[in-house]
Amino acid sequence: MKKYILVTCLVLIFVLSSLAQTPKELIAKVNKNFSKVKDYSADLAMNFAIPGVNIEPISGKVFYKQPDKFRVRTKGIVFLPKQNPYYALALLKDTNAYTAVSGGVEKIGATSCTVINVIPNGENDLILGKFWIDAAKGLVLKSQLTTKSNGTITIENTFGAMSTYALPDKIVFTIDVAKFKVPKAVAVDLNSKSAPKTDSSVKGTGIISLQFSKYLLNQKLSDEVFKED
Amino acid sequence: MINLIQLELFKIVTKPRSYMGFLAITVIVLLIQFAFYVDGKQYLEFIFQSLQNSFQIEGNILNGALICFIILQMLIVQMPLLVALVTGDLVSGEAASGTIRLLLSKPYSRAQILWAKYIAGSIYTFALILWLGLLALGVGLLVFGTGDLVVLKSDELIILRADDVIWRFIGAFFVAFLSLSVITTFSLMLSCFTDNSITPIVASMSVIIIFTIIGTLDVPLFDTIKPALFTTHMIIWRNLFDNPLPKEQIAISLSVLFGHIVLFLSIAFWHFTRKDIQN
Repeated sequence: MKKYILVTCLVLIFVLSSLAQTPKELIAKVNKNFSKVKDYSADLAMNFAIPGVNIEPISGKVFYKQPDKFRVRTKGIVFLPKQNPYYALALLKDTNAYTAVSGGVEKIGATSCTVINVIPNGENDLILGKFWIDAAKGLVLKSQLTTKSNGTITIENTFGAMSTYALPDKIVFTIDVAKFKVPKAVAVDLNSKSAPKTDSSVKGTGIISLQFSKYLLNQKLSDEVFKED
Repeated sequence: MINLIQLELFKIVTKPRSYMGFLAITVIVLLIQFAFYVDGKQYLEFIFQSLQNSFQIEGNILNGALICFIILQMLIVQMPLLVALVTGDLVSGEAASGTIRLLLSKPYSRAQILWAKYIAGSIYTFALILWLGLLALGVGLLVFGTGDLVVLKSDELIILRADDVIWRFIGAFFVAFLSLSVITTFSLMLSCFTDNSITPIVASMSVIIIFTIIGTLDVPLFDTIKPALFTTHMIIWRNLFDNPLPKEQIAISLSVLFGHIVLFLSIAFWHFTRKDIQN
């Protein structure tokens, strides 16, 4: 019985302590963690599951520099989300640019997360941002961004050894995708059999997963690294 | 036998129509490459339009491998006509010009003569494919560079990594050669049955066109006929660019093509060795 009371008390203390932080304080904690990283490079393994696109995994290098420079370098063709993975974090930096509203507590796996809804104050491509934050560690475990240009994007972060710098081991993007279809004559695909007709307006979801390893932090990366080839 | 093959090759080389195929391939390939050099980016933007709304696509998409793949799609359907133009004339042309009796008076059996004609026709077919490969893939890679291959389909994109592409092209050219060998033997067979050079060429072309139309039409009535048409299996080279590779389907099509070659050659030999040559 004593054990149950003790566990209940601990859980209550934990929940109350997370609730005690205002949404903006929590966001400030997230920003503080990530601000330790001025730049980084890392090895990257990419996997894709995009409707209508048959593409094999590929590896490469990834480079990041504050505030929002991000570049993936691979030897082949890759599909990347339109927003870079730190788009959401960059957005959260200016705490006056949005209104943050607490959305309660939800579990991501075994971790209790404080849900914070972010609504930009001015004209912005982002309509609504929803962040699942591990309040104890100050890490964004999941974010859902509803944008004007790209619909809804869900970003799930898995943290490991680099969690003190808010750098994930793995990021999984889930993106709304329209069904891929081009006229046979344009694709010069005249001899193929027609697939059963489906509604081309139906949207699917594309998944891109980025697995990071061998992080090298704060090496004073040159801007040349981020230039288009 | 080698002398006979050399003689048959000499006959092919001295005919102006033998160069029409090479000329047509050169013009078409260079035209497509020039068009893609000028307007390729707009073409790809249109193809990738729906995906670019959701993703940022990075990498060299407009490369030699893609251009070669597009050229093969456009040209391989037309190449049988270029082959039939030469191979349909191999026996009947001699009959029409009256040289067949002179040829048969040489100390070679009829089977040896027909083998020599078939081998010479196959060498011509191989040279056409080789020329296509050099122009489409060689010049393509030289001008547009290397990279991953985007296999364009109307409802799917298959992206093959650069190191996984060259063997597929070599395989595709081999399958194309086997496919055109069906045309070589078919037109040679028809050529054994007539004494004028135009009939087997026109008949071969007509059969290819009719079979291709039946194969292209999405009508349920033709679904039962399609597997029996050799033209259905001639486009199997495309499946070499599928991922994963449909090995069973490729093996079936290769067997069907090979079966047709054996069948047409057997009929040609059976008829030619028994033919009563009167002119």
